Amino acid sequence: MQPDPLSSESALLQIVGASVNYNKVSAVRNLNMKIPHGGIVTIIGANGAGKTTTLRAISGLSKLSGGEIRFDGGRIDNLNPEQVVARGIAHVPEGRRVFPDMTVEENLRTGAFLRRDQEAIESDLSAVFGRFPRLEERRSQLAKTMSGGEQQMLAIGRALMAKPRLLLLDEPSMGLAPVIVEEMGRIVVEISREGVPVVLVEQNAELALGLADYAYVLETGNLVLEGPAKELHENDHVRRAYLGL
Amino acid sequence: MLELLAQTALNATYAASYIALVAVGLVLIFGVMGVVNFAHGELYMLGAYAVVALYADAGFPFFLAAAVGLIFVGIVGIGMERTLFRPLRDNPLGGLVASIGFLLILQSLASVWFGVRMEHIPPSTQQILRFSDSVSLPVQRLYVIVGAVILLTALWLFLKRSRFGWALRASAQDPEAAALQGISINQTARIAMFIGAGLAGVAGALTAPLVRTFPYMGHSVIVTAFIVIIVGGVGSLEGAVLAAVIYAFVHTFVTTFFDGVIADIVGLSLMLLVLIVKPTGMFGTADRA
Repeated sequence: MQPDPLSSESALLQIVGASVNYNKVSAVRNLNMKIPHGGIVTIIGANGAGKTTTLRAISGLSKLSGGEIRFDGGRIDNLNPEQVVARGIAHVPEGRRVFPDMTVEENLRTGAFLRRDQEAIESDLSAVFGRFPRLEERRSQLAKTMSGGEQQMLAIGRALMAKPRLLLLDEPSMGLAPVIVEEMGRIVVEISREGVPVVLVEQNAELALGLADYAYVLETGNLVLEGPAKELHENDHVRRAYLGL
Repeated sequence: MLELLAQTALNATYAASYIALVAVGLVLIFGVMGVVNFAHGELYMLGAYAVVALYADAGFPFFLAAAVGLIFVGIVGIGMERTLFRPLRDNPLGGLVASIGFLLILQSLASVWFGVRMEHIPPSTQQILRFSDSVSLPVQRLYVIVGAVILLTALWLFLKRSRFGWALRASAQDPEAAALQGISINQTARIAMFIGAGLAGVAGALTAPLVRTFPYMGHSVIVTAFIVIIVGGVGSLEGAVLAAVIYAFVHTFVTTFFDGVIADIVGLSLMLLVLIVKPTGMFGTADRA
């Protein structure tokens, strides 16, 4: 395998010509993406455009039928999910997927499952509680008894407990009240400012383009547009199709 | 009358103990792997034969034989995971069918090795705890009760306190989300199979001096275990333990005051009643049912 020096220098994560099929139905075709070492990259698109599939392919939940994914210079598309986590990619899945019958604290500690640095885990746990005071108030409560917004915070906190080098967020705004969505947006920006690059998948294009530095637009499995988020926000097609303007 | 009630309660406690060991193992395997292990009764039978072979035939100490039963059957469980359930991971019905096939293989192997006659082995102790003239508990039965309490407590601590215990619970609640935390489903499935099969094996091993051991003995045990996990709620370990206690008491009391056939009917009726009133069982959420 010839390493490509360009990709490892210019991007943390690179998707090259990737395709994913579900039961012979193509979900994503010939996708090319670069995720830089910092900032927020968003993937927007309608339902079924392939946004979730793209994240699932990165974290190893869905296998590629073609192409490759490189993280930090090494290929990760042939790894299973637990190996991808070990490389430093944390994935907050669509629908939050917290462990319903475990407490808040158990959920968070499970996020640090692969780590052995006990002291750093404890300090990261306090950091998560500092970021999400609601989680600290409810640390002994079962996750299933919490509201949607609290569960989303828990899912993000759980991902941060892995001390990720790249954070994948799948529709963190889904089903949340506008005031919580705003708060979620602030938190995502905060996380990226603290040095964790974020890939944000969103149906809420207005929100996503407001937060992100760079954006990709997917339509029925194809990449149709990309560019700095500010530019895409002014793009006629994006304004018509996704911003309702 | 009071003494008869006390004696029956002691008998029921003994029955609840080994039923709980078998049912909890079955629930654990189902919870983590989503597979209904029909061969679970035969794992119980293997544990009993471990004691027949090592304790009764070869003369090793009883508790050593029982411990070997636990570990040996646990390893058989790991083998089942690797060869049957892992290749059929996304096919729960396939896992069920494969476990039925494996059940037939184990029964046949046991018939070939040990013959089809019923083994009645001598107890490892003749001691009896006498509480009064007509209330007593053979120490051999006490071993089963104490063994179940110790092992189920240890399992509870493992699941609540240890890193791998959390991993097991996380896998049972959401395998994909667990994988995203770096938890290997192969590893949790292996641990669940070892524990689940091992508990069935040790239940068979501890009860071997108290029952007749034969290749088809697993049948009645698994029927009871299925009733218990349906009453308790599929997927709930606490439910399985509580339901084992309830079932054992109902069954033992009805057997004592009426007869065994009526007790079986009452046990099944109990299951139907639970299914009518609360189809998910006492503690079940029916997530994976």
